[in-house]
Amino acid sequence: MTEIATRPNGALGTTEASATGGAKGVTVTGLFKAFGRHAVLRGVDLAVPDGTVTAILGPSGSGKTTLLRILAGFVPPDGGTICIGGTEVDGPQRHVAPEVRRVGYVPQEGSLFPHLDVEANVAFGVPRAQRRAKVAELLEMTGISELAHRYPHQLSGGQQQRVALARALAPSPSLVLLDEPFSSLDAALRASVRLDVTAILRQAGTTTVIVTHDQDEALSMADQVAVLRHGQVAQAGRPEQVYDRPVDADLSRFVGEANLLAGSIRGGRADTILGSLPLMDGPSGLAEGTAVLVLVRPEQIQVVAPTPGGGLAGIVRHSDYHGHDSLVTVATGNETLNVRCTGSTHLSPGADVALEVTGAVVAWAAPTTPAP
Amino acid sequence: MADAAWHTALYGGSAALVSTVMAVPVALLAVRHDGPLRRLLERSSYLVLAVPGLVIALSLAYFSSRYADDLWYQTAPMLVMAYAIMFFPLALVGVRASIAQAPPGLEDVARSLGQGRLAVLWRVTRPLVGPGLAAAFCLVFLSAVTELTATLILVPTGVQTLATQFWRYQQNLAYGQAAPFALLMIGIAAVPSYVLARFFDRLPARATTT
Repeated sequence: MTEIATRPNGALGTTEASATGGAKGVTVTGLFKAFGRHAVLRGVDLAVPDGTVTAILGPSGSGKTTLLRILAGFVPPDGGTICIGGTEVDGPQRHVAPEVRRVGYVPQEGSLFPHLDVEANVAFGVPRAQRRAKVAELLEMTGISELAHRYPHQLSGGQQQRVALARALAPSPSLVLLDEPFSSLDAALRASVRLDVTAILRQAGTTTVIVTHDQDEALSMADQVAVLRHGQVAQAGRPEQVYDRPVDADLSRFVGEANLLAGSIRGGRADTILGSLPLMDGPSGLAEGTAVLVLVRPEQIQVVAPTPGGGLAGIVRHSDYHGHDSLVTVATGNETLNVRCTGSTHLSPGADVALEVTGAVVAWAAPTTPAP
Repeated sequence: MADAAWHTALYGGSAALVSTVMAVPVALLAVRHDGPLRRLLERSSYLVLAVPGLVIALSLAYFSSRYADDLWYQTAPMLVMAYAIMFFPLALVGVRASIAQAPPGLEDVARSLGQGRLAVLWRVTRPLVGPGLAAAFCLVFLSAVTELTATLILVPTGVQTLATQFWRYQQNLAYGQAAPFALLMIGIAAVPSYVLARFFDRLPARATTT
């Protein structure tokens, strides 16, 4: 009886059809949240276009899980507004309860209901009338039809994640939230489950926010990556934007491996120990002679045979072999550089090499006072 | 005999109810808000198991005569209280296990699936916690039904329980008359034992899900 009374009413259910057309998605503006005297979110702004996947990338303690719990409605924010699917769910004097937000939530551990089988778990949030058709559709979509009558403890970690995803998608939510969904899976399983989940999310076409500290996961799964740092979105953009053009040096180190070289602007290029490098966006505001920090990604550096005048000479210090490639540490003068080599290149410590850069780089004004 | 059986069941049942209810807040604190102080509170309650029933009964009697003007001495509430205190650790074990079955994350998920607080309580918390609460109730009931020493001291005047009646007859070497009381005690204890066995059979399978 109580179930019927507290379920979102029919009016909310019928907005579903129109949600596919309009520009809805999720808009977060100036979100604040503090626990005691500790401010966790300090003005988060984020826009997630309708039907796309946004990854929120941040180190532990950056407030990303808090952001997710606020989006789900479990915790009210201290300030700011949230609009989901064109409806304001959090704002001044407004907090919509989680059960009427139509936001699906997939927690870290899956958190399936242990007393219900897979079918009943998926059916949990679906009104009785649509249950049969909807559940069958989702079991099919997530590829778990044959597990319908198993109980959660009889499932592997990857299967549990699919069930949790199917359960979250079943009530056709306006937004699905995934909280570090793959962190409890072992490395071998993680990649395949990640691919499957991405495919399912694309097929369902649901607006998705996924929280992760794994930059590989964020870059590979998302249409948009938002990096959360010190309780604010430091940068949001397409994965390649965030990786190729990070807004500052600190961020470049967080998203992928980075070599940061001191240099200066000479003739519209960045002059570094690796030579004069072309700038991706031109000098863009950096005056001639400005001291800069230059970002060179390890895969931009090529190892060449040491010939006189050919590249920067160095000595291999260490090689971190990954099979498909290896990350080689090369000492040159007073700098050490990370270089990514393909799997076929084998360099042992002590080998003499020369380094060359391909492609354009990004530079920021160095934090210290400019050189005279 | 019917009278003795009725009182046994009444006292045992009330004690089981009281101690199970008392165990819920302690278990909630211990499971959901873990901390050194809370853990100490929980651990120390197990110490009660080491205290003989006689000591608890005598302390309650002493407390009543010294500080409470003989209030409740040899009345049903005091006997029930004594049972509830003695068997509190048993209740706590059951309640703790059951609350651990229902992590708050599950309730969050249920709410995000469109269920209000009451619906979540009914569809998620109740089925997960219920069996454990029943188990705690049974454990205490089972122990209270056969308890003798505290019962002898605190039982209301003129009332016999199965245990005290059995004890009386066998003191007088009237084994034939004592036997049916023993049988009845076994009979009453068998019901919760069966329920308990069913609960613990199911528990290990669930425990692996976490």
